[in-house]
Amino acid sequence: MEYYSPTDLNEAYELLKKFGDTAIPIAGSTFFMGHREELFDEVEAVINIKKLGLGYIKTEDEILKIGATTTLNEIFDHEITSSGVYKIFNETVNELNINEVRNMATIGGEVCIAGEVDMPTTLLAYDANIVIGGSEGTRVVSMADFHIGYLNNALDVTEMVVEVQIPKPPENTAGGFYKFERTAADLPIVNVAVRVSLDDDGICKDVRVVAGAATMSGVPQRSAAAEAVLLNNKINEDLIMQAAEASSDIECIDDFRTPAVVRSLWIKCSVEDALKKALSELDKGE
Amino acid sequence: MIQIYLNVNGEECPANVKPHWSLAVVLREQIGLTGTKTGCEMGTCGSCTVLVDGKPIFSCLRMAVDVQDCDIQTIEGIETDDVLHPLQQTFIDDHGMQCGFCTPGMIVAAKALLDKNSDPSEQEVREAIGGHLCRCGTYVRIVRAIMNAAEVMRSKS
Repeated sequence: MEYYSPTDLNEAYELLKKFGDTAIPIAGSTFFMGHREELFDEVEAVINIKKLGLGYIKTEDEILKIGATTTLNEIFDHEITSSGVYKIFNETVNELNINEVRNMATIGGEVCIAGEVDMPTTLLAYDANIVIGGSEGTRVVSMADFHIGYLNNALDVTEMVVEVQIPKPPENTAGGFYKFERTAADLPIVNVAVRVSLDDDGICKDVRVVAGAATMSGVPQRSAAAEAVLLNNKINEDLIMQAAEASSDIECIDDFRTPAVVRSLWIKCSVEDALKKALSELDKGE
Repeated sequence: MIQIYLNVNGEECPANVKPHWSLAVVLREQIGLTGTKTGCEMGTCGSCTVLVDGKPIFSCLRMAVDVQDCDIQTIEGIETDDVLHPLQQTFIDDHGMQCGFCTPGMIVAAKALLDKNSDPSEQEVREAIGGHLCRCGTYVRIVRAIMNAAEVMRSKS
């Protein structure tokens, strides 16, 4: 196993091309080191991508751009997530109650792991796009298309995630995040992110209800039924309960960690709680 | 093998490592600093916590080769001039331990908190050690020791 620490993107792309599927790009290293014994025989080249200048949070053309090697705590501490439409990103990080992991794990890594992590659920609710770089150039894939299945994503072996882009939602928008886990520091059993945009009359004009970590598909999924309940309506307590009930259209996985019926119930509870959080945030903004 | 130099507790320490060797293992087996404990070695127990550039991280999940340019502080570097850090003293005074295996990680994580926030609430203390397991279950006394250390540090400054 060789270690490389390239200082520019082209050098990193060349290494990915040279080693193909035996190379692994590393930034926070939490996933790689946590699975090093399984990965040891498969990996020939460890490529540290932290010196490529991909640790940034900036707004350009009304798009929030987060570099792939930005850590979760950098997102948590940034003023743009302290209030307003992007506050949900602060909440999502806050729900992972391990400061040490938050100092290491990066948004690029979270996006690449299509499994029991929180950030992709929130990113799907915010219609994020993933910028993928490779020696052939860059391409942009929506969060919805990026995850193909459990622990499987749209990256070619010669590519890596370089940036996450989140388009600015309309002014009167707020998000809410809620999750169930065994302990505060554990992987999620269920996570839910919602985004609600209201017009001046308080009517819901755009909404996303997304559940992750529990789905049969293994990747975060929108609940079309719950969104349909809320869209073009004034959201009240009754409608929130109806939307929560409707979220049972998401098929849950049944495994040794938690039975599907429990996951399904917890998704309903999480949808209710996340919607209430979003609405209370919208109330504060008024 | 890769020859690296790590800046640990202000001293330059040479080590010969493989890329996948964790900082925890290198600190213990090559540099001889066994205060940092290795428990689960997969990022769930917190006993291997060290400070890298002032931030707490799990040294079992960090490649040693990746922290060559960083300032690493372990439990051995917390005291100054042979005087215990207030956290070390209050952990003794309040008996914030039973077997002591989780203690170095707890103290290092608490130091990172107190360096940033000299007057934390009990909730903030609990959150700062959220990723740390104490299988003896001495959490109440650990939190008390950290709160008391914060008070000692405030009164000194």
